[in-house]
Amino acid sequence: MTDGAACSVCDSLARARAGDAAAFADLVRRHQRMVYSLALRMLADRHKAEDVAQEAFLQLHRKLALVQSDVHLLFWLRQVATRLAIDRLRREPRYEVVPLHEDPGIAGEPAAGDPLLQRRLSGLIGDLPPAARAVVLLRYQEDLEPVEIAAVLDMPVNTVKSHLKRSLASLRDRLGGTSGAAYRGDGQST
Amino acid sequence: MRARISCLMALVILALLPQQAALAADAKLALPSFQALESKASETVSITLDSPLIAMAARFLDSDKPEDAAARRAIAGITGIYVRSFTFDSDFAYPKADVDSVRRQLSAPGWQQLVQVHSRKERNDVDVYIRVEGNRANGLAIIASEPREFTIVNIVGSIDLQKLHELEGHFGIPQMDLTDKK
Amino acid sequence: MPVNPDLEQQLREALRRVDPAEGFAERVQARIERERLRPQRPRPALYRWAPQALAAALLMAALGLYGWHAQRERQGLEARQQLLEALRVTGQKLDLAYRGVKDAARPATAGDAGA
Repeated sequence: MTDGAACSVCDSLARARAGDAAAFADLVRRHQRMVYSLALRMLADRHKAEDVAQEAFLQLHRKLALVQSDVHLLFWLRQVATRLAIDRLRREPRYEVVPLHEDPGIAGEPAAGDPLLQRRLSGLIGDLPPAARAVVLLRYQEDLEPVEIAAVLDMPVNTVKSHLKRSLASLRDRLGGTSGAAYRGDGQST
Repeated sequence: MRARISCLMALVILALLPQQAALAADAKLALPSFQALESKASETVSITLDSPLIAMAARFLDSDKPEDAAARRAIAGITGIYVRSFTFDSDFAYPKADVDSVRRQLSAPGWQQLVQVHSRKERNDVDVYIRVEGNRANGLAIIASEPREFTIVNIVGSIDLQKLHELEGHFGIPQMDLTDKK
Repeated sequence: MPVNPDLEQQLREALRRVDPAEGFAERVQARIERERLRPQRPRPALYRWAPQALAAALLMAALGLYGWHAQRERQGLEARQQLLEALRVTGQKLDLAYRGVKDAARPATAGDAGA
């Protein structure tokens, strides 16, 4: 982020805190892609993701006074978005088996690389337990380091690293096309 | 978000309280004194937390601590937690009569047996019951018979089994994923 | 275990951010506006009478409150301990049940390497 862009965000944040609706809308536009993408990949459902993303910004609007800087804003939004998504997942009926990776439109814009592989990866990520899924998203979508992920998710760093290691192993195995070991989130695989 | 309660709202809520209390009372088991168990037990845990005590405890939970944060999430909507746990020095030293009196209450309307586990290998029985009112769960009961420990847990209020289960990973309990995504 | 750099790059590509449906910011603004327009009740003015007597009463109450707070803090910390213990036991027994369910669901033959 250039100095100009950073000052622009700070300016919008300060004006939004002062009650400027246009400034808040500017903050929403700047960060909606990040918040929505986190929710979408956690929930694998566009409607639920939109709902969670809206709720995250609603909470931001209520608690703007607590946000101290643009860096804090990013941290805050990531934290709230993942928490809301995890809470939403946990409210799903407990004993139903729900396939999580059937949304054909979940892929982003065409990117370099194999689109079929990317779609398969998106689906496999949807099979990870919620906490592990959040860790993987924060690492590879948001490019956060394990220490930062630990702060966002209020989780010990070693737990973050464990989730990463085992999730990658599970994804690698399942991409290999074998019967594949699914990561259960308890340090073991099936 | 703090709710502003006017005098009128307070009166309405007070009028509704007996009805809520009646619903809660059905989900709250009448636990016997378990004197017979207590006299034989080497260790007893007896916890009675009604709504005011839970609220008081919640104020002292530190959200910066993962264990406290997990507890805060688990107790959202819960209005009562009752635990009776007895540890013995020898196997199956506890009489069944007191246990059966609790089981009889769980055959009352509204209670459904969610899980019944009998493990020959571990020699334990665990029964999990849930009380459903309309389409909402407002009570949970667990009866666990292990060789040297007998435990009853009764939780009253809005039950979220997922949140209770996520106590695993905290309190020294290993994590375990239950979702079968095959 | 070394991480496959290709897999990490593939993950980054698969997890590129996507846009919400058009008009997202406007929908957020609309929700904020709906929340703002919920009727507010005026706060009644409660403290207009006898300010000196009230100040004296508050001072006396403050002194009494100090002792009360100390006791409440002790009670609160004890309640917290009990709550954590109750939740520990609950989680432990639920775990017993879940393990039993998992064990019952496993195939009878041993030695299978993954499903």
